[in-house]
Amino acid sequence: MNIKWDDSTIIDLQNVINISRDNPDRIFNYLTQFKELIPERLDHLKVSLLNGDRRMIRQILHKMSPQLQFFGIKNITTPIQRMEFEYQTMPIKELEQLVNNIITTLDIAVNEVSKIINSNFE
Amino acid sequence: MNSISHKTNSIRCLIIDDDPFIQDLLQDKLSIYFPDIQILGTANSGKEGIESINSLQPNLIFLDVEMSDMTGFEMLTQLTNTNFKTIFITSYNHYAIKAIRFNALDYLLKPFDIEELKNAINRFNKNVDQKSDWDNVPLALSNLQSKDIPSQVLTLKTQQGVLQLRLKDIIYIEGDSNYSIIHLNKERKELISKTLSDLEELLNDKGFFRCHKSYLINRLHIISKPKSTEVTLFNNGSIPISRRKKEAFNKWFNSIGIE
Repeated sequence: MNIKWDDSTIIDLQNVINISRDNPDRIFNYLTQFKELIPERLDHLKVSLLNGDRRMIRQILHKMSPQLQFFGIKNITTPIQRMEFEYQTMPIKELEQLVNNIITTLDIAVNEVSKIINSNFE
Repeated sequence: MNSISHKTNSIRCLIIDDDPFIQDLLQDKLSIYFPDIQILGTANSGKEGIESINSLQPNLIFLDVEMSDMTGFEMLTQLTNTNFKTIFITSYNHYAIKAIRFNALDYLLKPFDIEELKNAINRFNKNVDQKSDWDNVPLALSNLQSKDIPSQVLTLKTQQGVLQLRLKDIIYIEGDSNYSIIHLNKERKELISKTLSDLEELLNDKGFFRCHKSYLINRLHIISKPKSTEVTLFNNGSIPISRRKKEAFNKWFNSIGIE
């Protein structure tokens, strides 16, 4: 398979390609999982942010973190790790801004993954 | 519960994690790099994990620390069959990892660096004939739930087996290059193949302070604030405090409260 991505994209599919050993079914599985799981979790994240539920925000980000690392999403690890340590103490405005930035980044990433699925598998 | 049967060999493992991505990723990594490992199945929760362990009888489980219905520690304490070894799996979380290491349990960070996975499997193969880590688990849960720090128990693996030390029994720890000597009450000593820095990392939020490059001291055994560059202990011994640590030591000594 010859899936293309470049420095302008947020995602980096090298890990997906490596672990899938060029098997299109495996690649497709990882991509669809990302496309389905991340928006679901972003919805939970938005609700938790509205409710000011710091513990749940931390838990959702913690849960998503390995998949985001695996998809090579740039500039996401540091803010998520900050949340691990500071989710109880961070000023609410700063927390809102940090979480909203993560949501924006991941919306773009989901869009990129959807485009790759559309152009390579459908 | 999803039951899968790949091969029949000595390692029969079960993956317990409520994230389908992690289940798939770990299965793929194990299948590629350890084709001899038999993956018995996956479980999506602690409850399913208990059922799967009882029905599939794995000798190794990969267990998520934080699941939606219970923690991995809580799941393990609900089991009667304990004839397996456990590798905890967790995303980056300083506190969980520290708790796992404090209890001498094995763990891997998601999304699983392949060298770390290989090391974990090698450790399993090396220790496969030794008894499981089961005895550490109720203690780990108790440590996690207890706010009484001096009564918490530090578990260390030694060449002779497992050493469990109540924190209040540790007077101080002396570093000796790659080894450490733990000085205990009743004039007992234990030699451990861990550096003083390793032990400092495990104990620095439990009333211990690195007052000197060669010494880590337990607040509980200090008689009073030092006047010079030595501190006197209840057992009449004394420990040096390095000049550059003196100010930090005084600050720590004044601030710390032992519950």
